[in-house]
Amino acid sequence: MSQVAPRVGIVLVSHSVQLAEGAADLAGQVSGGTVRVLAAGGTEDGELGTSAEKVALAVASAESGAGVLVLPDLGSAVLTVRAMLEDMPGARVVLADAPFVEGAVAATVTAAAGADLKAVATAAEEAWHARKL
Amino acid sequence: MPASSESITLTGDLHARPAGALAVAAGRVAASVSVTAGSKTVDAKSVLGVMGLGATRGQVVTVSADGPDAAEAVAALIAIVSEATRVGG
Repeated sequence: MSQVAPRVGIVLVSHSVQLAEGAADLAGQVSGGTVRVLAAGGTEDGELGTSAEKVALAVASAESGAGVLVLPDLGSAVLTVRAMLEDMPGARVVLADAPFVEGAVAATVTAAAGADLKAVATAAEEAWHARKL
Repeated sequence: MPASSESITLTGDLHARPAGALAVAAGRVAASVSVTAGSKTVDAKSVLGVMGLGATRGQVVTVSADGPDAAEAVAALIAIVSEATRVGG
């Protein structure tokens, strides 16, 4: 097959540039690199914080026709994401309540398997129950 | 529904990338698929579950599937485990 169905895109919103980029790198590599995983970390000038503009750009880049799942690292990133979503009516974007690293990896792997946006969001949120030990 | 099962002895540890490759492939099949290592059995479609197995080199891992494409699923996943744990990462 030369045509691959579009995959759900993932946007990782962190207060830290490095945390967002590291989590995106990890999730991308574990899932085999077939999913758009975009990092939206830090403020406009790269300080600790979040940027609605960075999130909006990342969401647009992550969208390939199957919708986008947005994962915030901490509760205060949710405000930025919600404000951004109000400015993007009609966007197929779901904001997930999930642990950041585990949720990013679970969501990206599920997206790589071809799951729809709802299933990808569920995979991220089920990461609350994953035990490491 | 047809069920199928096969075991393999790991030639490397089941690290993050092999676990990811396994879960991506498992997510693409219709059958329900589980992976067992030692006393733990997890849903093969859950990458966090597969990682949580902590399966290491020399350990026997069993892939079991139940559903219309169970036999193909088991064969494909055993091949992935064999290849991915040999490469490592």
